[in-house]
Amino acid sequence: MKKTFLINDLVWIAFAALVCYGGLKLGFGSFRQPHAGFMPFLSGLVLGLLALVDLLSGVVNHWKQEKMDKEIWANIHWGKLFLTLALLFIYTVLFNTLGFIIATIPLLFFLYRVMEPRPWWVVIIASVITTGFFYLGFKVGLGSQLPRGFLGF
Amino acid sequence: MDLLNYLYLGFSVALQPMNLFYCFIGVLIGTLVGVLPGLGPVAAMSLLLPATFHTSPVASIIMLSGIYYGAMYGGSTTSILVNIPGEAASVMTCLDGYQMARQGRAGPALGISAFGSFIAGTVGILGMMLISPPLVNFALKFGPPEYFSLMILGLMILTFLTSASMIRALMMAVFGLVVGCIGLDNISGLARFAFNIPELLDGVGLVPVVMGLFGISEVMLNIELKIKQEVFTTEVKGLLPSLQDWAKSIWSILRGTVIGFFLGILPGGGAVIASFVSYAIEKRVSKHPEEFGKGAIEGVAAPEAANNAAAQGAFIPLLTLGIPSNVVMAMLLGALIIHGVTPGPLLLADHPQLFWGVVASMYVGNAMLLALNLPLIGMWVQLLRVPYSILFPLIILLCLIGSYSINNSSTDVLIMLVFGMIGYLMKKLSLEAAPMVLAFVLGPMMETALRQSLIKSKGSFSIFFTRPISATCLIIAIALIIIPLLPWFRRPGVALDHEDVA
Repeated sequence: MKKTFLINDLVWIAFAALVCYGGLKLGFGSFRQPHAGFMPFLSGLVLGLLALVDLLSGVVNHWKQEKMDKEIWANIHWGKLFLTLALLFIYTVLFNTLGFIIATIPLLFFLYRVMEPRPWWVVIIASVITTGFFYLGFKVGLGSQLPRGFLGF
Repeated sequence: MDLLNYLYLGFSVALQPMNLFYCFIGVLIGTLVGVLPGLGPVAAMSLLLPATFHTSPVASIIMLSGIYYGAMYGGSTTSILVNIPGEAASVMTCLDGYQMARQGRAGPALGISAFGSFIAGTVGILGMMLISPPLVNFALKFGPPEYFSLMILGLMILTFLTSASMIRALMMAVFGLVVGCIGLDNISGLARFAFNIPELLDGVGLVPVVMGLFGISEVMLNIELKIKQEVFTTEVKGLLPSLQDWAKSIWSILRGTVIGFFLGILPGGGAVIASFVSYAIEKRVSKHPEEFGKGAIEGVAAPEAANNAAAQGAFIPLLTLGIPSNVVMAMLLGALIIHGVTPGPLLLADHPQLFWGVVASMYVGNAMLLALNLPLIGMWVQLLRVPYSILFPLIILLCLIGSYSINNSSTDVLIMLVFGMIGYLMKKLSLEAAPMVLAFVLGPMMETALRQSLIKSKGSFSIFFTRPISATCLIIAIALIIIPLLPWFRRPGVALDHEDVA
């Protein structure tokens, strides 16, 4: 089956419809005096038409040139993928409060162990060293602004 | 005579100790990201952009440019030794470079790639010096209709040349335009698609979008892959190509240089396309096409020369017209604007020290790259031994810091993660990110030019077809849409699965 491509086109058509609606709400204006919604509406319209053409050509040709669903979604380590993403979102939410150093050490600890298991003490040392290296390089060396957190660093 | 005076001015700027230092840092980081798969020049430039806020505009652009053309050099090392392109423009180098390495000729492959890159880079700079001033005079004739049509042409060329499916590439380009609409409307000041999030009023930042689409999504893809790396470290000897190698390669290098330079200038063209086209032409003109793919040195020399010449050529539309022809140039456009410099026809007159300083620094940078890539090849090879499981947390951390430090905002980090997921899905579905990013960058400029043109013409679209430059651009763009529909035409689709559209 090649449901993936059917769903893909349908999602794009729905997205395009939302953009058109948003464009109209902002105000299309006229060709003489285009308003803020002019470009979004036109973009949404073209996007929807292109997705429709892609969908129709896929239906007519049975998506012959596309990969099978199995090919696309096989061999994915969903666990690792979702774990990594979840960690990154949690990190983003917390690192302003915790500060760069305190938030980054545990993040690296988990990331270093995501791909292959390593002894925990090696990972802790590596995480601390990496965090320190990045802190010194970016904060001290390049003067980048990193979140200080409640402890002030 | 003027040219020599300007060149003198350029070298007096480029050879200042601080600018030399930034040039060195740029080419060093460029080589590093070129060598390491998974982190390309765009991600590296995004990351270091905030670090250039405290420097002069000249030093900043010198360093960022160095990263770009340095990555072109470095990318070949991974292609030849590991059969994994360090960045997209080195894909073609894998075909013959890796075969040469397997035959014990990794040294000459790396050597000809470095020398070819040097020759092409130098010729490219020369071409840039000669073409830019007359192009500036031409660009002064441009009004909003011409700018709009030229940007449409650039997007069409990119979608025409780089995608297996032109419809999907166009879809991605239009998606880029939609994302570019987020934020305050340039003309009326009305907030669009900001959903009451204050950080979105300024629009979605280029850095989080690029880092998400290319950095995070690449990491997500690699998590599911098991990359088996086989590095030919023991074979790396005899880096200087023999006379026979030179005889075989010199014309390939020159052809690659010319092709690369002109494809680099083309809006929407760039290093990746240049390397594909030059390889195809080289195979066609060769007396022994059957040797290609089995370790032909011409198959390394031509694409490497082409991608370096294209990297130089790509600066021309940005510096003379103010239009970035690819994502890397879009990053440079952002850097210039942050430093209060508006690229375009007046750049040469208003900031000659910047233009000529950057040009001269490229000469210096190319010489530095030759020194970095040949004697230090052993060091780069050792870097290739770093396992991906160690590399990927570092890449993620670099992306997190890079996207945060632009505005000190965690919203930017969230945007990067969202675009990381979008980029991952796009790669899974063979939807290319390159047209999306270019359209995203060009979008606000295109919209302003379109609306200004329509207001000027009182709503008539004929303004785009009655002005010669605009009409020419649009006719070519329309032809690019029609050509793939012709039954006898087989499109030269090139799937870009990496960040470099350059």
